[in-house]
Amino acid sequence: MTISRTIILAAMVALTPMAMAVAGQDKDYPDKSVSYIIPFGPGGESDITARLQQPFFKEKFGVDLVVSYKPGGGGAVAWSQLNSIKGDGYTIMGINLPHIIVKPLQKNVGFATKDITGIYMFHYTPDAIVVKKDSPFKTLKDLIEFAKANPGKLTMSGSGKGTANHIAKVRFDKMAGVKTTYVAFKGTGKAAAAMLGDQVKAEWGYTSVGAKYGDEVRLLAVAMNKRHPKFPNVPTFKELGFDLVSGAYRGIAVPKSTPENIRVKLSKMIGEINADPAFRKKMEDAGMALLDVDYAGMGAFMAKMTDIYTKAAREAGVIK
Amino acid sequence: MPNEPNDMDSMTTKSDVAGTAMAGVFILLAAAAMWDTTTMVDADSYVFPRAVLIAMIVFCGLLIVRNLVRPGPSGANASAGSSARRVLLVAAMLGSTALMPVVGFFIAGLGAFLAIMMVAMYDPWTPYRRIVYPLACAAIVVVFYILFTRVLLVPLPSGLLFD
Amino acid sequence: MPGLEYLIAALTPFHIMLALAGVVAGTIVGSLPGLTATMAVAVLIPITFSMEPASALILMGAIYTGAIYGGAYAAILLNTPGTPSAIATTFDGFPMAKRGDGDLAVTLACIASVVGGLVGAAFLLWLSPPLAKVALAFGSVEYFWLAMFGLTMISALSQGSLLKGLIGACFGLLLSFVGVAEISADVRFTFGSRTLLGGIEIVSALIGLYCIPVLIDMVATPDRHLKVTHKTGGFRLAEALAFSWNYKFNLIRSSVIGTLVGILPGAGGSIAGLVAYSEARRASKNSKDFGHGAPEGVQATESANNATVGGGFIPTLVLGIPGTPPDAVILGALLIQGVRTGPTLFTDNGSTVYTFIYGLFLATLLMLPTGLIIGRYAYRTIITVPKSMLVPTVAFMTIIGSYSIRNSVSDVMIMIALGVVGWFLNRFGFSPSPIVLGLILGRIAEQGFVQAWTIGAATDELPAMFFGRPISLAIIAFILLSLFYPLIRGRWAAMRSSTDAE
Repeated sequence: MTISRTIILAAMVALTPMAMAVAGQDKDYPDKSVSYIIPFGPGGESDITARLQQPFFKEKFGVDLVVSYKPGGGGAVAWSQLNSIKGDGYTIMGINLPHIIVKPLQKNVGFATKDITGIYMFHYTPDAIVVKKDSPFKTLKDLIEFAKANPGKLTMSGSGKGTANHIAKVRFDKMAGVKTTYVAFKGTGKAAAAMLGDQVKAEWGYTSVGAKYGDEVRLLAVAMNKRHPKFPNVPTFKELGFDLVSGAYRGIAVPKSTPENIRVKLSKMIGEINADPAFRKKMEDAGMALLDVDYAGMGAFMAKMTDIYTKAAREAGVIK
Repeated sequence: MPNEPNDMDSMTTKSDVAGTAMAGVFILLAAAAMWDTTTMVDADSYVFPRAVLIAMIVFCGLLIVRNLVRPGPSGANASAGSSARRVLLVAAMLGSTALMPVVGFFIAGLGAFLAIMMVAMYDPWTPYRRIVYPLACAAIVVVFYILFTRVLLVPLPSGLLFD
Repeated sequence: MPGLEYLIAALTPFHIMLALAGVVAGTIVGSLPGLTATMAVAVLIPITFSMEPASALILMGAIYTGAIYGGAYAAILLNTPGTPSAIATTFDGFPMAKRGDGDLAVTLACIASVVGGLVGAAFLLWLSPPLAKVALAFGSVEYFWLAMFGLTMISALSQGSLLKGLIGACFGLLLSFVGVAEISADVRFTFGSRTLLGGIEIVSALIGLYCIPVLIDMVATPDRHLKVTHKTGGFRLAEALAFSWNYKFNLIRSSVIGTLVGILPGAGGSIAGLVAYSEARRASKNSKDFGHGAPEGVQATESANNATVGGGFIPTLVLGIPGTPPDAVILGALLIQGVRTGPTLFTDNGSTVYTFIYGLFLATLLMLPTGLIIGRYAYRTIITVPKSMLVPTVAFMTIIGSYSIRNSVSDVMIMIALGVVGWFLNRFGFSPSPIVLGLILGRIAEQGFVQAWTIGAATDELPAMFFGRPISLAIIAFILLSLFYPLIRGRWAAMRSSTDAE
């Protein structure tokens, strides 16, 4: 070997332990239980998907993932307190799109979208139009025809306003050139109950509603790029000519003060859970669609989503 | 009647000044709330609240008029007892809550507990009591703390001064 | 009896142990103000992963039912509903305690809770499918009218001055609007405050309005908190049983009301208790005693709120729509276990469901001995502990309890603030109950109204929407009956006495 090579080799040998010492802070992480704060109450979908992650976390990383709840303001209370929590990687918080994009634009809710440090987006529940099994609407075309013939008379329930359901309805109405009436309910459960009870003619819901009620309901279309594995017979909006790919996105964020290496490590950990086939199967059975946006890809993802949802929210009249 | 405040004998026939004053306060509150409704974007947000606010202003108005025209029993209740202790109780609770994010739940809670014990103390301080009571206080706080943080997994605030 | 073969499966030693542990733990959790059945069930979810679905359901159902009963202790002895379902129990429970009948009240509450729970479970066993249809038929309009019916109780709850009661109710309604509105995503009445962003949480408001004023007055005088008129030897069980038998019609009627209200998604134990109380008062010969310590009142509310446990499971299991907040958590736990709810649940997963229902019967029956024993200790403790320890303990419990609901310091602040406001209002003749009524019913009324209006306007059927549906008409009839019955009764009595005089 030449002298220069020797020197380089020696340098590498000398520097490696130093490099490891610096990065080594995350070697022991996590060594105690991690607290997972859900910005909503127990029993909701954010809770359920977190609970699905819980056993996999324990199995893979040996420490408990402790779920706690901080509901209020539709999530605003928790997100506004995110950055006042200690950033040591032992507290993580669930985040939801479009909530964290749209809410700050509406009024002062105590946080701005850029304050949220997301590290992974692990799934979304795609928007879908759901009807009762004995509804006269057998395909999306039937629905659109009815809406065209009776503007404003097609009542559709959905969860909240300024939410994924509402924004999807606004975008779809524009694309299809129809006028439907949106009736806001508190939560997907109540919106589905309204549809099942014939209070409204259809629901702007999610694929998870279809999974939950099985044969009692029919999905007319889903807002995905490809058909959902659980519903191979349901066309996507794209197939039917409407460029609508959206839903409620869920992910995990950490306080701003969390060091970079912990963020990366956490991102990898969540990614590992997301890659587990058993986890994927459980999520898909519940009607979710998995997503793999890790820490590196967050920036671009958020920029794209912010753009889409800001425009859509403005059209919906939810923000000025 | 449910939750009737204290005894009936203390109802006097002097005019219901307090009621009138309260009605006035409520009207001011309603005005402020009405102003807030004008900042709302969606019509659905203020339809119901405005109806309620109008009803409230009407009722308060009626109460004031009734009190001026026909002063009747106030339905209010005299309060016997020490006002100082009452204020101290509330101050202890508020103070402890305000300090919670700073010193952590355990310290703030224990402090409030001891303070309120002193405020509620009417029996003389025997040597027995001097020792046993504070110990009991500490024991109760510890038991609840463990129950909530370990069993019920509630993340009580841990304060900036610790870890 | 349907699924009788699963009765044996329900009675395994493991299940008996689960039911017993669940009921005891639930009763204790429920008695601490601020700790709700929902929280207790949520904490248990990870434990249930390793269990069979039926066993998990039995444990969660037992805790749920114990917690609803446990709320009565604080309601009777401290004027604080331990859980929202015990609000109406304070109306007569606390006056009973103050005049020395606290032990009777606690025992009555226990018996009533057991009967209510059994009736609810019986409906669940026999009548689930048809009743589930009723749950679906109950739409936004019906909720609106139900809320209006609830509000007619204001006249009953405001002593003396109806105007002050109405003002209080309006105040309560406005408090319910604070925060983010579900129907429009607007932020209302926060005036920029972060503390108010999350809205006024009902349980912490209850604690503030009911308990804090009691504490404030407790520190002011050295008198004993509750009167003790006789030796607290027994449970006064014989007396309570005799009373319960004499008023069995009240008991059954209230249980049925509780079950039916429990079926309605979103209407929980609090509304059940209030409606049953209102009806009991209307139908009773001693209606004047209500609010001053009428045992019938305690009986009515406690049987109704425990009946909501069984009733709430009907839409939860048959439709997958949670009847009450704890049901939502239980549904989540079932989903994670892969149990699909729906009409097929009773046919495909019959073993799970029937084992669970019989387990619920078991847990409810076990509540009688455990409830009596725990109740006696609770009563003894509150009576004998010196004020200087009782007040700080209760104050501490209110702080930790109201924090734990949403892990929020703001809720504690709001609780204390409302407590002070409530104390002043009380002194000026404004009772807290109409305020609480407004707070609980506000969101239901508003959402029902706005949704019904939107649908009605869209389909051009506005009048038919509000006044044309059979269930709505029935509720409207009840409202009118409630409002005018006292007048009619007075008129009749006057007519009768005048004819007698002739």
